[in-house]
Amino acid sequence: MSALALRNFSARKLRALSSALAVFFGVAMVAGTLMLTDSVNRSFDSIFTEVNEGIDVTVRPKVEVEGEFGEGANFARPLSEDLVEEVGAVEGVETAVGVISDETITIVDEDGERIGPMGPPHIAISALPEDVPFQPFVLVEGERAATADEAVIDSLTAEAEGYAVGDTIRVTGAAGERDYTVAGIAEFGAGAGLGGVSLVEFTFEEAQRLTGMQGQVNEIDAAAAEGTSPEQLAATVGEALNGGVEVRTGTQTASEDAGALQEGFGFLGTALLVFAGIAVFVGAFLIFNTFSITVAQRAREFAMLRMLGASSRQVMTAVLVEAALVGLLASLLGIVGGFGFVELIKGLFESFGFALPTSGLSLEPSTVVIALAVGVLTTVVAAFNPARRATRVAPLEALTETTGGTEGERSRSKRKTVIATLLLVAGIVLLPLGLFATANVESALPLLGLGLVLLFIGLAMVGDRFVGPLASWLGWPIERLRGVTGRLARENAQRQPGRTATTAAALMIGVALVVFVGVFASSIRASLSDTLDRQFVGDVAIVNTDGFSPIPSKIGEEVEALDGVEVVSSLSLVPARVSPGNSDVFLAGIDPETLGEVASLDWVEGSDETVAGLAADEAIVDENFGEKQGVGVGDELAVTGPSGDEVTATIAGITTRSRFIVDEVALGLDTVREQLGVTDNSTTFVNFAEEADPEATREQVDTLLSERFPSAEARSQEEFKADREAEIDQLIALIYVLLGLSVLVSIFGVVNTLSLTIFERTREIGMLRAIGTSRRQVRRMIRYESIVTALLGAVVGAVIGLALGIAAVTALADEGLELSISASLPITVLIAAIVIGVVAAIGPARRASRVNVIEAVQYE
Amino acid sequence: MTTDARAAVSCSDLRRRYGEGDAAVDALDGVSLEFPPGQLTSIVGPSGSGKSTLMHCLAGLDRPTAGKSWVDGTEITELDDSKLTSLRRDKLGFVFQFFNLVPVLDAEENVTLPLRIAGADIDETWLQTLLDAVGISDRRSHRPAELSGGQQQRVAVARALISRPAVVFADEPTGNLDSASSTQVLELLRRSVDEFGRTVVMVTHDPRVAAYADRVVLLVDGKVATDTPVDSERQVHELMQGV
Repeated sequence: MSALALRNFSARKLRALSSALAVFFGVAMVAGTLMLTDSVNRSFDSIFTEVNEGIDVTVRPKVEVEGEFGEGANFARPLSEDLVEEVGAVEGVETAVGVISDETITIVDEDGERIGPMGPPHIAISALPEDVPFQPFVLVEGERAATADEAVIDSLTAEAEGYAVGDTIRVTGAAGERDYTVAGIAEFGAGAGLGGVSLVEFTFEEAQRLTGMQGQVNEIDAAAAEGTSPEQLAATVGEALNGGVEVRTGTQTASEDAGALQEGFGFLGTALLVFAGIAVFVGAFLIFNTFSITVAQRAREFAMLRMLGASSRQVMTAVLVEAALVGLLASLLGIVGGFGFVELIKGLFESFGFALPTSGLSLEPSTVVIALAVGVLTTVVAAFNPARRATRVAPLEALTETTGGTEGERSRSKRKTVIATLLLVAGIVLLPLGLFATANVESALPLLGLGLVLLFIGLAMVGDRFVGPLASWLGWPIERLRGVTGRLARENAQRQPGRTATTAAALMIGVALVVFVGVFASSIRASLSDTLDRQFVGDVAIVNTDGFSPIPSKIGEEVEALDGVEVVSSLSLVPARVSPGNSDVFLAGIDPETLGEVASLDWVEGSDETVAGLAADEAIVDENFGEKQGVGVGDELAVTGPSGDEVTATIAGITTRSRFIVDEVALGLDTVREQLGVTDNSTTFVNFAEEADPEATREQVDTLLSERFPSAEARSQEEFKADREAEIDQLIALIYVLLGLSVLVSIFGVVNTLSLTIFERTREIGMLRAIGTSRRQVRRMIRYESIVTALLGAVVGAVIGLALGIAAVTALADEGLELSISASLPITVLIAAIVIGVVAAIGPARRASRVNVIEAVQYE
Repeated sequence: MTTDARAAVSCSDLRRRYGEGDAAVDALDGVSLEFPPGQLTSIVGPSGSGKSTLMHCLAGLDRPTAGKSWVDGTEITELDDSKLTSLRRDKLGFVFQFFNLVPVLDAEENVTLPLRIAGADIDETWLQTLLDAVGISDRRSHRPAELSGGQQQRVAVARALISRPAVVFADEPTGNLDSASSTQVLELLRRSVDEFGRTVVMVTHDPRVAAYADRVVLLVDGKVATDTPVDSERQVHELMQGV
């Protein structure tokens, strides 16, 4: 029987291929994601292993509060240069050098514009003495920087920007801007690159000067003397320095640095796998549908096999083996397609200015195994029910013309209703549980995912009951406009309600998720816009060009000196740990004297005077934070800064919906600077004097920033809003592309169902042609049927997506999210559905219109 | 009534009722028959006489409402699905009106399909004998779509004979064939009885076809009206005209 399955598979190559397409996309996404993560992980491992080669012990500033994205390290106090000597004096240390590695510099072109893609930082590093046994930045051309006017640039940047030895590059840092002669070109981590990062190496003194780190270093690297192991040395250095710093072996540092980046990419990998899962899920629907249809069409064949003595198990095996072969084909194609998916993702990220470090893709055996398992299992599981139906074909059906429609059918459909209802109820219970009842994302996502899966399956199962009324409602306008072809299309869509329901359900999933994301995104945009409108009342805000990194506090001083600038108010946002609750928060450092001029807060307790009179030991908290930790005005908070310094503060006021300024907890800026050791700011707000010309003043600010601080930019409220919205749009675009692949799969589903249906109706179509229906009318009829099916999926999907979006936004109302649904969304979905319907019908309609009338009427 | 153990197929007081109450129809109304081995029997009768139902019940494809039937000495009326499956596999052969060949398999593969389903070895000599007998040796690797209707039906006859079944049921085997092809298929069925010693039960409404048999059973309204040896086509014709 397996041989027969193999025959069926290879005889119907085209059908097998079109069935396989359903699963292909999902498998390609799974395989591509795995290849990408493997390759990225390997790249980081090799880069950091190489970079730390020869380094036995590293000493770094202690980062007490890492923050959600590891941003705590940006705010940690640098090490004192004196420590280098201390480390060098420790017994067992052969060499110890201080290293500068600073991300606040900017390489600019002759117009003063930052070079390279947005996003990845430019990093200043200090040259190591030549006798040091570790040299991560390996010269490939020229010499190392010998004087303060020379620099070495990394090979990838040199290549991308066309820099050669002897050229001049301009770099700005905390100390201002300076021109350097390119003395040499060097490779970092064997030239693999670090996600688009640009590196410039200066002499040690120049690196310190440029980055404003005189007397300080970011890291001390040490090599052990003969006979001392790195572990021993790390222990002795740790003891000698007596806390306040992070002492690790070079190997530990390499794996931790790689691990930190890998974690970031791991998140990307997980996200991509979620989208792959969606595509696989949609594909499973199509497999189910295709096999249901072909099993029904081949009922006679199965009956005959049964007649010849095949057992029901043999019939089942034949169908499942065929499914496994389809799955195998899909997996093999999918593995190849995985390379394409990697290119797609890399392309998307490059268009966002981020190069993924993939040092050559390779196909790990584990990827092949997982891809095969996903493809084959999905197909076999999806084909299981159709296969069982094939076994129920009575042998007698081989002799009779009629098929199906027995009493057994009805009782099974009763059981089906019960199962579907259970699934729907379970889904509907799980969704709110995920949305409202759990505190953290990690436990909410699986609940939501499972809830959605159950809901979608349940809907597809009961869908056949609603296909009739819905299709007749959706098809009504077509019938009115197009007469008899419309009428036939509308009826045809209802003829096999189960089939139409499953086909539409596949599309429903994609549309529901697209609409959900759309609602969520427009709500985030609207809330953001609302927050900024209410809180940002100044003229401009100066922020890092990347939108989130810190900016030097010097900016405030220099901008204040400009003509026409009246108020300058700086804000720092740093990760900190707060008790009671011992929770990590974004701590705001606000300038009490000036904040009221540039920003407006909504008060629950206290008023703008509370800010104006905020003492060094007082704090303001957000309403939600207060409720969560059970604290109010007069209670004391213990705050730990990124470097581990502690302060206590008494709550003086409570704000609400002011997360742009007071996200959770705010202290005075001086307290944050002086007692928590934070030097940089996040945002500097600027108000122009009333009598000053706003345009001229703005121009002065822009000129100052581009000349002195090119990593920062001034944004008005509108511009700032537009920037954030653009960021959201970019993310949404990425999500849409990934969801689009699932929608694409469901379009193939419509094509597949239509083709199989037309094959079934060959005789009928021939009859229609025989009595005078034109080819064009036949094409139209198929097209309308396709549109009705697509609309069915889109409308139901849109309703579900809207409901989910509304529920999710409501669940996050505490976080300041407000519901906003753009009017264009439903219209876009309807138009898209019609387009999908038309496109899906092209091939099938053409085939239907070419049916040979005579043959079709005689068709047996 | 006792059953002769040597009969290939037999039945006793078979009744088959469709529907309930006023709408009930007795398709079979107490039929008792014996089909000894090595005979070709035609079951004839007008539409609705119950001839197809009789064949379905005899082959275990349909369950009688009352009565019993036997195949090769085994009572089949009480068998469950899996026992019926192996019965069909080992003891029965079928020839259908619409050929019912597997389109993706070639002629020879279609013929050997029952053996492959059973996982049995293929007796190459017997296969060759059959292919020669049905006249498709030279077309053994053609697919059904590449064969004429008559050729397809001859493949189907070979398929019915390959497992040397106790009885071959043929349901309107010439219903879809032109007269030349019909003659070939009927001669083939005749030879399978005469040369290969098979037992064939054939359902038809065509007197010319029925006349190829050794014996003709006329059913009327679910009852056996006549059961007589065949002597000429004219005799069968008159028999059926009389209804």
